[in-house]
Amino acid sequence: MKNDNLKFKIKKIFIFFLIFFLLLFSTTKKIFAQQVSLSLSPPLIETIIKPGKSILIAYTIVNYGDPTVLTTKILPFEPKNNFGQIKIKDEFEGPIRFSLDNANFNLGQDFFLKTNDSEQLLLRIRAPEGTPEGDYYYTLLVGSLPQFAQEEKSASFAKATIGSNILITVTQSGQIDIKPKITIFQVLPRLRFSFFGKTINLFDSTDSIPIVLIVENKGKNLIKPEGQIILKGNFGERAKFDILPQNILSQSQRLMLATPSADLKCTPNSKLKACQRSISLIIPGFFLGFYQLSTSLIFGENSPQISASTSFFAFPMKIFFGFTIFLAIIIFIIKKIKNEE
Amino acid sequence: MPSKKISLLIIFFLLCFIIQSVSAVNMESPLFKIQYGEIGIAGGNKSSTNYNLSDTVGQTAAGQFSSNGYIVKAGFQYIHSIIPFRFSISNTNINFGNLLPNSPQTASTTLTVSFGAAGQYQVTAIEEGKLRTLDDVNQIPDTQCDGGSNTCNESLAKPWTSNSAYGFGYNIDGNDIPNDFINNTYFRPFPNRTENENPAIVMSSTNVGKNRQATMTLKVNISPIQPAGRYQTIINFVATPSF
Repeated sequence: MKNDNLKFKIKKIFIFFLIFFLLLFSTTKKIFAQQVSLSLSPPLIETIIKPGKSILIAYTIVNYGDPTVLTTKILPFEPKNNFGQIKIKDEFEGPIRFSLDNANFNLGQDFFLKTNDSEQLLLRIRAPEGTPEGDYYYTLLVGSLPQFAQEEKSASFAKATIGSNILITVTQSGQIDIKPKITIFQVLPRLRFSFFGKTINLFDSTDSIPIVLIVENKGKNLIKPEGQIILKGNFGERAKFDILPQNILSQSQRLMLATPSADLKCTPNSKLKACQRSISLIIPGFFLGFYQLSTSLIFGENSPQISASTSFFAFPMKIFFGFTIFLAIIIFIIKKIKNEE
Repeated sequence: MPSKKISLLIIFFLLCFIIQSVSAVNMESPLFKIQYGEIGIAGGNKSSTNYNLSDTVGQTAAGQFSSNGYIVKAGFQYIHSIIPFRFSISNTNINFGNLLPNSPQTASTTLTVSFGAAGQYQVTAIEEGKLRTLDDVNQIPDTQCDGGSNTCNESLAKPWTSNSAYGFGYNIDGNDIPNDFINNTYFRPFPNRTENENPAIVMSSTNVGKNRQATMTLKVNISPIQPAGRYQTIINFVATPSF
């Protein structure tokens, strides 16, 4: 009887500790280093506005990281290159005026955001009377403040900022200045040579065809081309590739992307031409003979259509050279045997 | 019998702690309520083997709204935000510990980007001044990597393996990183804002993607004549979608 009681007591203690540890582990949270995780939407705003008018845009900033203090600012940007990358300027410039309609803070003022909390930023954009017609490009930046640790160690403190671009066209009449030009429409062949004044692009039949299409905007306003790249073969085969509508800012160029495009597996030391520069479209397949490539672009209703074309030859060079070498070796061996005989 | 009761008690306790709390989404702020360009009450992508469809129900204007004197292009249909633009830094306090001469110290942080509608994105990095003591008297120079033919700069990574090559720099490894970071021995110095240098692009892509990750490893190596002290700087990361 005593033994039974003791057993029951041990069992009780064991179950008590089991519950205790289960509760301890289920309530103890993992501790991570200070993490910042921000989401900002919408990622892009395009607006056409008359001088003297203002608009209100509602952005949502969400904090998925640790609780943090955030601050907002607007800075102008310019295109950095023709791949759609931007360079944000250090100082504000331009005639467009920005302010936040939020009741509790304005641009440049800090606000606190808890984990998984969001804040609506009501951005007012105003083109004052007398604003010169043209385009103005800005980025709304929402950033965390670096949190310095009070410790006697050397360290770097990361500050995270997320941005959303604002493309503003100021026009009195609503008319947009559209002056596009195709500056480059070419293939990147394995071999290129001139023949009677004509440039011949030569590929191996098994090569993928890399195509580069760069469009220049010589106008005062941004443009967004739409169109296709069309491949025509000498046996009547035809393939169409849609050009992705991407903005080309005024007085800049942009590499257009087309879809569906193949993916090249490039290594850092790859000598493939297509791996050494950015490409609009890569067409995979087996090609034989003469092919024509053409593109035509439009820029909205009643806009001019621009087009360009190029061509290439595809020949099974690798197979041909392999077969030639094989043949040469066979002939050499046969001749040698005959000579020995 | 008592063990049965205890088992029930354990199950009850476990259930209480496994069940997570559910919160409703805030639809308005306590200070104001705004009707945005569109209010998508339903929508998204539908597909079968024969078709793909994307729709929005409840938009006041589909994709684009116009008014007297302005047009704004924004909203769900115009910018198809399947994956919202999101940027994360896993660790904002990148601690090197105690710096010892000729003994390189490294610390890392992970950058994560998710983006959909934007189509393209970039993450730039710049240091807000050199790694320096709080009184700004002593500084650790930016790395030039191993020097000679292996001299790196803000836009070109080169190997940094020598323990007698001093400075502060970074390596990056993962998705959408610059091609010159061939392996984890390749480093670059950060551009310095106080020297009017432009931020360096450390991640960029033209493809839509979710959770694109790159691990940035920061490295410091000091010379024996480097004065003792606590050296700190701020690295400013800016993630922006394309236009």
